Amino acid sequence: MALLEVEDLEVSLKSGRDLLKVVDGISFTIEQGETLGIVGESGCGKSLTALATMGLLGGTPIRVTGGRILFEGQDLSLLTPNQRRMIMGNQMAMIFQEPMTSLNPVYRVGDQIIEALQQHETLSQKQARDRAIELLALVRIPDPKNRINSFPHQLSGGMRQRVMIAMALACDPKLLIADEPTTALDVTVQSQILDLIVDLQKQTGMAVILISHDLGVIAETCNKVAVMYRGKVIEAADADDLFAHLRHPYTRGLLDSIPVADKEVEHLNAIKGRVPTLEEAIEGCTFNPRCPNVQQKCLSSYPSVAAFERGHEVRCHFPLEGNE
Amino acid sequence: MNIAQQIYRIFAGRILASIGFAVLIIVVLAAVFAPLLAPFDPLDIDPISRLQEPSLEHLFGTDQFGRDTYSRAIYGARMAVIIGAGSVAFALLTGGLIGMLSAYFSRLGSFLMRGVDVMMAFPALLLALVLMTLLERSVVNTIIVIGIVYAATTARILFGMTLKLKGGVFIDAAICSGAGHASILFRHILPNLLSPLLVQATFIFAFAQLQAAALDFLGLGLPPEVPSWGNMLAESRIYITRASWLLIFPGMLIIFSVFSMNLVGDALRDTMDPRFKDDIAGV
Repeated sequence: MALLEVEDLEVSLKSGRDLLKVVDGISFTIEQGETLGIVGESGCGKSLTALATMGLLGGTPIRVTGGRILFEGQDLSLLTPNQRRMIMGNQMAMIFQEPMTSLNPVYRVGDQIIEALQQHETLSQKQARDRAIELLALVRIPDPKNRINSFPHQLSGGMRQRVMIAMALACDPKLLIADEPTTALDVTVQSQILDLIVDLQKQTGMAVILISHDLGVIAETCNKVAVMYRGKVIEAADADDLFAHLRHPYTRGLLDSIPVADKEVEHLNAIKGRVPTLEEAIEGCTFNPRCPNVQQKCLSSYPSVAAFERGHEVRCHFPLEGNE
Repeated sequence: MNIAQQIYRIFAGRILASIGFAVLIIVVLAAVFAPLLAPFDPLDIDPISRLQEPSLEHLFGTDQFGRDTYSRAIYGARMAVIIGAGSVAFALLTGGLIGMLSAYFSRLGSFLMRGVDVMMAFPALLLALVLMTLLERSVVNTIIVIGIVYAATTARILFGMTLKLKGGVFIDAAICSGAGHASILFRHILPNLLSPLLVQATFIFAFAQLQAAALDFLGLGLPPEVPSWGNMLAESRIYITRASWLLIFPGMLIIFSVFSMNLVGDALRDTMDPRFKDDIAGV
């Protein structure tokens, strides 16, 4: 049994009378100890997939309209709010894009970690405090004994993200969802945070879903990758396999748009055009207005999944030959 | 930071606010120690020495029944503090709860907040008058009526702020760590509202006194035998030409205490929460 199984998940935005599908039937599984990278441009539905998994869509006009999310074989949508709360934080946890706003400004960071701990475990104040200091040390915050008394505004962005990670790890979750955890941080801090997540994963054996728009980040950290475009997974493979044999022109485009550090370039290779808005209906393959290899068939029918060796799947009528 | 340092930070360099704070402390002390400070029983009638001018024996003179105005003024401070604190407590508890719950549970809110809108449609004094005519004159009823009037404004302010806070990522993070509704509302949202609540409290305290004085003056507030500044004004207004001290002293007391409270409120607002300056513009 997979740790997390997402089957044909559909997430829709209610806009007036219409339902616009933002996530359109995506499926993936993740096993204990694996790292799944979900990558795609802004608006492709990757964050919403994470929010839907964590059940954080309440109060928004966005709803899960189809499919199932199974955590250890349990359908999350069938749980009562109380049962769900038992899982949240305890079994699955999440860290967010914005370390600046994801901590409560009026509490000391230690108290926030202690609260996360006491939500699921009965600990004395002393035990909880010691554990919080351990957690801060675990996420490599220097001088944790004093830092535990800091308010969020006294910490830098990287430090706050570390505190968020410490909070998420408080109850040893089996699954950690990291929604663009490094987007708001500067580059040097980014790699530190990513290294930290990878190390912690090795130590604890948890599964991680890493959401990013940066293929470079994904390549460094993940062992499975799903590339999303307009609400669908258009290419999924093991990380090594994906980067060795790119099959989808979109993935190719994403990779080409990363500048190479030691080469002089005149201009960056961008994927032409933009992500079509949800209201725009596109006949055939949704990538056809931007695809360099577009052909007649792409304009009329949406490609079904084509499977290659080692579970490499791609949704394209004319997959690339698959070499660098 | 301890309380003394906090207070110093708020009032340092603000002369007017410091004076206001001092006046406020005097009023509160007078209220607490009224029986010790008042030379006479405020209800003691002495027809022989009625309508006497201020003298060493009767600092503020005596009224038409020969009661000592100074003693009555001191007991009036007690009523002012009771009415002020009571109205603040009532308004913040009911209004705060309504506002927070309405923002947090949006269905409930669309229902409750319309009620609040109706309350807001009435001018404060008019609403208080209408409610008071339905109720008996008593201390508790006066507190409740004034509390209801300001509960509406409090609800409105907290509604907006809770709505803003509710969308914050740290609330999502709290949900992610398994926090329930009660914990989110009272442990994550409420502490963020404390400073605007405190500022709001100072303004309600001041306006409640004005409101209570107005109700007393119109004969709809506290029972007539209760020594309050408003009642003192109401009873002796026909003597304004003969014994003006009967109106001047309680009138000045109302003005000074309300003005002081407003000065303190302004200072609090400026130091505690400059962010919320626009949200709490006047009650």
